[in-house]
Amino acid sequence: MSDVAVAETGGKKTGVFGRVKKGRVGVRVDMTPMVDIAFLLLIFFMVTTVFRRPLAMEVNMPEADARVEVPESNVLTVYVAKDEKLFARQGRDPLQPIAWTDLRSRFEAGTAANPNLIILVKIHRDARYEPMVDMMDTLEDAKMQRFSLIPMQEADVAAVEAAR
Amino acid sequence: MATRRSSVRIDMTPMVDVAFLLLIFFMTTTQFKAPESVAVELPLSRSEIHVPETGTIILTVNRTGQMFISSENVADAQEMAPDNALAAIVQWRERNPGAVVVVKGDKDASFGAMADLMDTLAKAKTLRFNLMTDLRKADDQPGPDGGAAGGR
Repeated sequence: MSDVAVAETGGKKTGVFGRVKKGRVGVRVDMTPMVDIAFLLLIFFMVTTVFRRPLAMEVNMPEADARVEVPESNVLTVYVAKDEKLFARQGRDPLQPIAWTDLRSRFEAGTAANPNLIILVKIHRDARYEPMVDMMDTLEDAKMQRFSLIPMQEADVAAVEAAR
Repeated sequence: MATRRSSVRIDMTPMVDVAFLLLIFFMTTTQFKAPESVAVELPLSRSEIHVPETGTIILTVNRTGQMFISSENVADAQEMAPDNALAAIVQWRERNPGAVVVVKGDKDASFGAMADLMDTLAKAKTLRFNLMTDLRKADDQPGPDGGAAGGR
């Protein structure tokens, strides 16, 4: 591991100030195992370090009692049924089934036709949370920053069932 | 002609110095993922906004709809019943007024539970909050099963 090299001191030497100099002892420590361990730990910490922080969507809700009245023809309502199938209706038109893949183009076409279009998303309470995030992502993709997200009322559930 | 074996001695000191420097850097920056007391599978989104590392109030909703409130240290999450969720949120907000509220919902939690929680947040005057998500790949479409043909 380590070896000690004692320097040969031929008799007692006297320094400048008459003090006796000790024989210099050069200690050579083998640092290989320590460096091995250091690298091992280095690799361990490099591998286990996660620089990833969780991501999030930002949500700004209106005041709880905020009321905005809009003409019904400007409203595109999207219903998310319990089985996560989609139905859409413009104003008071009958409900039409729509595929998730067509949703973004539907939003974009709707806004192109009517710049004042307001999206109202009604989700069944027993649907999962994932379609809500999917819906918000689709709206974001379609550059729609303003939309309403509300749970379905019983009348909506009945309307969806009737449109199947 | 006999070639003389010359023993080359490389000074490894600078290399070892750098190794230790990196070692100390990684040791100090590593944050071990806290063993999560509440298992949550996050929904996917294209949003790339980062959740702040500190100064957050995390509201966790697991797949069965149980709610937990915690700081960024999720290990000390305490459960909150639906009827005292409002009081718990108000209390945490008062204790930490500058904190960012982050909703960490499981993708399989019911929308009803999440809607109730968002209603509660609105009542607690928390109109700005974040929804924690995982990054969705660029070619993946939103929707069930990657948007495959409208429905599962």
